[in-house]
Amino acid sequence: MKQKFLSLIAAALLAFPILTSAAPVKIGFINSITGKEAQIGENLTNGVTLAIEDLKAKGIQVVLVKEDDGGDPKNALAAYEKLVTRDGVIGVVGPYTSGCANVVASRADQYKVPLLIPAAAKEEITMKGYKNVFRLNAPANVYSSVLMKAVAPYKPKTIAYVYAANDFGVSTVKTAQENAAKMGLKEVANEKYQQGQPDYRSSLAKVKAANPDFVFLVSYDADAILLMRQAKEIGLSPKAFLGAGAGYTTAQFAQQAEISNLVISATQWTDDVNWPGAANFSLRYKAKFGKDPSYHAACAYEAMRIMVLTATTAKSAVKLQAGLKAGVWNGIMGPVKFADYGGYTNQNNHPMLVQQISNGKYETVYPAQFSKKELIYPFKR
Amino acid sequence: MLLFLQALLSGTLTGGVYALAGIGMSLVFGVMNISNFAHGDLMMLGMYFAYFAFTLLHIDPYVSLVLIMPTAFLFGFLMEKVFISRVIHHPHQNQILLTVGLGLIMSNTALLVFTSDPKILTTTYSSSAFNLPGGIYLSVPLVISFLITCGITAILSLFLLKTRTGMALRATSQNREAAQLMGINVAKMSGIAFGIGTALAATAGALIAPTYYIHPLAGHSFLLKAFTICVLGGLGSVAGAGVGGLIIGVVEAMSSTYISSDWKDVVVFVLFLAVLLLRPQGLFGKKGEQ
Repeated sequence: MKQKFLSLIAAALLAFPILTSAAPVKIGFINSITGKEAQIGENLTNGVTLAIEDLKAKGIQVVLVKEDDGGDPKNALAAYEKLVTRDGVIGVVGPYTSGCANVVASRADQYKVPLLIPAAAKEEITMKGYKNVFRLNAPANVYSSVLMKAVAPYKPKTIAYVYAANDFGVSTVKTAQENAAKMGLKEVANEKYQQGQPDYRSSLAKVKAANPDFVFLVSYDADAILLMRQAKEIGLSPKAFLGAGAGYTTAQFAQQAEISNLVISATQWTDDVNWPGAANFSLRYKAKFGKDPSYHAACAYEAMRIMVLTATTAKSAVKLQAGLKAGVWNGIMGPVKFADYGGYTNQNNHPMLVQQISNGKYETVYPAQFSKKELIYPFKR
Repeated sequence: MLLFLQALLSGTLTGGVYALAGIGMSLVFGVMNISNFAHGDLMMLGMYFAYFAFTLLHIDPYVSLVLIMPTAFLFGFLMEKVFISRVIHHPHQNQILLTVGLGLIMSNTALLVFTSDPKILTTTYSSSAFNLPGGIYLSVPLVISFLITCGITAILSLFLLKTRTGMALRATSQNREAAQLMGINVAKMSGIAFGIGTALAATAGALIAPTYYIHPLAGHSFLLKAFTICVLGGLGSVAGAGVGGLIIGVVEAMSSTYISSDWKDVVVFVLFLAVLLLRPQGLFGKKGEQ
């Protein structure tokens, strides 16, 4: 009798917080806060900070548990396991890098705690049929396909590739070559370069001699500036420069107006796109953090918003998985739906944007329904 | 033909800056018999000096050499007195550990202070070029850098050949003990040699800054080049380092034109190994020297 009474009290105590108030949901966030990806990681942290603030302003409480992976897949996996086993979170946003996200994704179905990946681009992450892995951003091959689609109406005939000799450069050019083949473009030059060298003039002179309609570039950070400077020096002037992400989408690159003007690049997000709240998000982000938001920040903001909104009604990992699978959202990243298509599972078919630099500023130029400006073609100095 | 000439000229111009970095390293090795593995990081400091002189004081990077050279000389002179002089009679591995350590301290301090964001020095002529007849383009900043390099090398040669200090430096380089017996203050010569070496490294950094990007770890790729140049030209030979720099510059440009830029390091190091096999003392080194 006594035992029965005690267990009743225990049950009542356990039930009490759930009955009296809507307990805040517990969500995990894995990001590269330290390590060599920390610079971009900071953008994701800022995006999430802003998302939590906005949710609190609407009266939605959330307990956020942050974990740092330092850009290392081992740490990312340990962070995910800690979050789901010790902290008892019902959903996780992150990690940032493809390497980390790929490893964590492989365990999500084992623990059955949904993982929402905000910005990792490697295709295979959502191609293995994992039920508990969702991805907001578009995978890597869309970078080249959207660029090619944007310039297809101008009927180009030839293309040259100039790219960094690393995983990102090689894989991006591979998908670009597939897309170019579909469009019937002829490859006239293929220059893979070592990063960090001071002189690319000879490679660029070779490209110039091949006289391509398009020059397709893949570079990180400062290499992009170096290449475009030397391209100007030797008078390389194709009909369009196509920069696939990374170095061609930074504010630092755009500010070099003399060399960056009219360069076309692909991105997940811009601040002048007509998706609801995008412009306002950019203003508030700038006011709070003193710099322009990158697409990573927007992706992280929207991923966290979707995760918390869905988790607040779901309240358990299983229902959260179903909620993410069934839901549709429309926010700063445009329409979001996690769908199964073309070999992908739970992949948001995110419409990537094409932007062009005009006097030091990025302007969205494609697709037409999301942009205010038109693409300027052909390229001229 | 056009591609060949373009590669030859841009290779020569880039090689000029490599040469300057190589000469500094070779001079230090010649006089002190020390391989300075902090040389690349001293170049990096020169880059940041030029960058801040330009952004904060609005001094053109080439004009700022007037400030950079004496400052770097003093820095090098003091560095020799405080650290390097203590290991001058020690085994090579101790000297290498010391200079590698000093380099790590410099690059990591730069990482802390300047962060890992690359800095871009943009002058009005950063991406302009002289258009030669026949469609050859020569980068304006590279041409200026090359001319300054030629000037500095000429002045350095005159200094080494004609002045008392220059002769004393050469004497120390030929035979340290004999020079000391002849009444040359070899400790002072070491300081001067290291000071000049540092000044040349910083100058090379400042010269490359307007056409490159500035990063705390930028010196590392140039350290390897400077070292290759020294060995190729003959360790300790100033003229050899000059020629070695030009050779590396041209070979790099030629291999990116005719093979692939992905392969240019391979070509450079195959050439390097070939020279070591056929002339172990380097192109300008004397037989029997270290």
